[in-house]
Amino acid sequence: MAEQAIVQIKNLSKTIGKKKIIKNLSLDLHKGEITGFLGPNGAGKTTTIRMMVGLMRPTEGEVWIDGQSVQADFEGSIQKVGVIVENPEMYKYMSGYKNLLHFSRMHKGISKERIDEVVKQVGMQNRINEKVASYSLGMRQRLGLAQALLHDPKFLILDEPTNGLDPAGIREFRIYLQKIAKENGVAIFVSSHLLSEIELLCDRIAIIQNGELIDIKNVNDLQKSRYYIQAEPLELAGEVLTGIGFPAVLHDKGYLIDSGAEHIPGAINLLVGAGVRIFAVQPYRETLESQFLEMTGGGEIAQTHTK
Amino acid sequence: MTWIMAALLVVVVFAGIGITKWMNSTATENANENWRDIAQAEIANSMVMLEEPDLSEPQADYYEGRIAIAEHRLANDIPSFEYASMQQQVIDTHMMMSLVTLLAVIMAGGIVASEFSQGTIKMLLTRPVKRWKILTSKYITVLLFAVVLTVILLISTALAGLLFFGISDGTLLVWNGSEVSETSFWLEALKLAALKFSSVWMISTFAFMLSTVFRSSSLAIGLSIFLMFTGIQAVFLLQNYEIVKYYLFTHTDLTQFFTGNFMISDITIQMSIVVLAVYFLVFMAISYWTFGRRDITA
Ligand SMILES: Nc1ncnc2c1ncn2[C@@H]1O[C@H](COP(=O)(O)OP(=O)(O)O)[C@@H](O)[C@H]1O
Ligand SMILES: [Mg+2]
Repeated sequence: MAEQAIVQIKNLSKTIGKKKIIKNLSLDLHKGEITGFLGPNGAGKTTTIRMMVGLMRPTEGEVWIDGQSVQADFEGSIQKVGVIVENPEMYKYMSGYKNLLHFSRMHKGISKERIDEVVKQVGMQNRINEKVASYSLGMRQRLGLAQALLHDPKFLILDEPTNGLDPAGIREFRIYLQKIAKENGVAIFVSSHLLSEIELLCDRIAIIQNGELIDIKNVNDLQKSRYYIQAEPLELAGEVLTGIGFPAVLHDKGYLIDSGAEHIPGAINLLVGAGVRIFAVQPYRETLESQFLEMTGGGEIAQTHTK
Repeated sequence: MTWIMAALLVVVVFAGIGITKWMNSTATENANENWRDIAQAEIANSMVMLEEPDLSEPQADYYEGRIAIAEHRLANDIPSFEYASMQQQVIDTHMMMSLVTLLAVIMAGGIVASEFSQGTIKMLLTRPVKRWKILTSKYITVLLFAVVLTVILLISTALAGLLFFGISDGTLLVWNGSEVSETSFWLEALKLAALKFSSVWMISTFAFMLSTVFRSSSLAIGLSIFLMFTGIQAVFLLQNYEIVKYYLFTHTDLTQFFTGNFMISDITIQMSIVVLAVYFLVFMAISYWTFGRRDITA
């Protein structure tokens, strides 16, 4: 991306005791872009986020937000950030509205109208005057999102935000985040340990394991065009496909070919002409999940982090 | 919560003064106390005290003042307030101020620790407000609460005194070191309450520090209240050692210089103020330092 990054994480490290929890992590985040932060439980997502918002002091490295260092100019940088770290914790004995009012006073110039607007955006207008103690986890997540959005931040950080939301809620949430990224140019950083939850939401995904950033992938790159053709007889089909320049890989009862959609009808014609019987032609997408597991070593992750 | 504490204070004051009234009405010898006899006794007592060999200068000044006032009363026929009068109750309000300390400690011990136990600390510290500012606003809240409680205590004592005892037609006299003059009982009550406030202030600051450092309200409140009661006792255990002069509880109650109940001899109010200031700065430094640097993992 050509544009200057709005958030720069530079060589961030955190050591607690003798344990190096975050190892030299660097990452840039851009305006209007939604970046996923994917890693198994205990990988260091929350710790990284805590350092990004000044809750923890990095052992080494710095975080820059819109040209200001979080470590050197806390107030200047953090006023551009909205964040939920783990589950949002509110004052349970107060109403949702009172909570928002309380937090809004710690920012400059948030009007009552702005609070009402945000409440409506997260769909809480019917329950906002009830005590937080009576809210479900999903409603607390919505209220958490509301407090993060109050001051119209340029940068939004959400730590495992879909926790407690039902599928309809997750979908609504995804559409809403994509809208504010696109329309308001907000940079969004969403952590998760479940790829399936953020795959549809994010533009790119940074993968963390054992405190190390191991890969950054563009979601579009991951979905390269591939087709599966089920055909008989197999050998003949293989000969035809390689004959026209497709490196065909045997898969299940047919072949996988890397090709754009425009070449598919022609290939089918040739196959049929050569006497091959076609049973199925479908776009083939290897799920990100399996790629993710491949990268992070599959089931082993869970083991190394269960105590 | 804060309203409950304030209401509790009012109830306790009314109950306390009501009980005093009831006990006075059953004990007959107190009922017809005569201000002249009291003044005579005051002179006699003070004379005896002045004979004490190791009397410090502030103590001697105090007893000389008592004698001067009592003699002035007898010579000019100026009665004092009876004990069972609204005015005397208001002047004595400072003796009830450990109640304020208790309630202020409960607030001070909870105000920071509760943010940690509720998990809301991370929501507070991700606002564009520096940590020291947040801590300062919490600390000011505690002090304001203690001031308001003190004012409530004074007002409810006056109301309860009015209800149970009524107004005395005595006059309050004070000794400034060279002459006796009249003064208003409100002024005297405010002065003593303000002096006693030093104790409220120090103990709540201590509770506030514990709350910030240990993030546990029960520990902060428990330990502070424990120290509030045992700390004074320790003064007597330490009284033969030099260290007692630097011990916090020797100095917390500044009214000692005006009521004659000295914790130890040879301390002056200036000394006490310096010692209190040093403790205060240490408590504050520890609070701000730990709160400012702590990694928030709650
Ligand atoms: N305060 C702490 N002291 C010691 N180790 C910690 C502390 N906080 C987190 N960790 C360890 O750091 C690692 C990363 O934790 P965390 O950032 O919460 O992971 P994630 O959010 O990705 O699940 C874990 O192995 C965890 O045990
Ligand atoms: Mg986490």
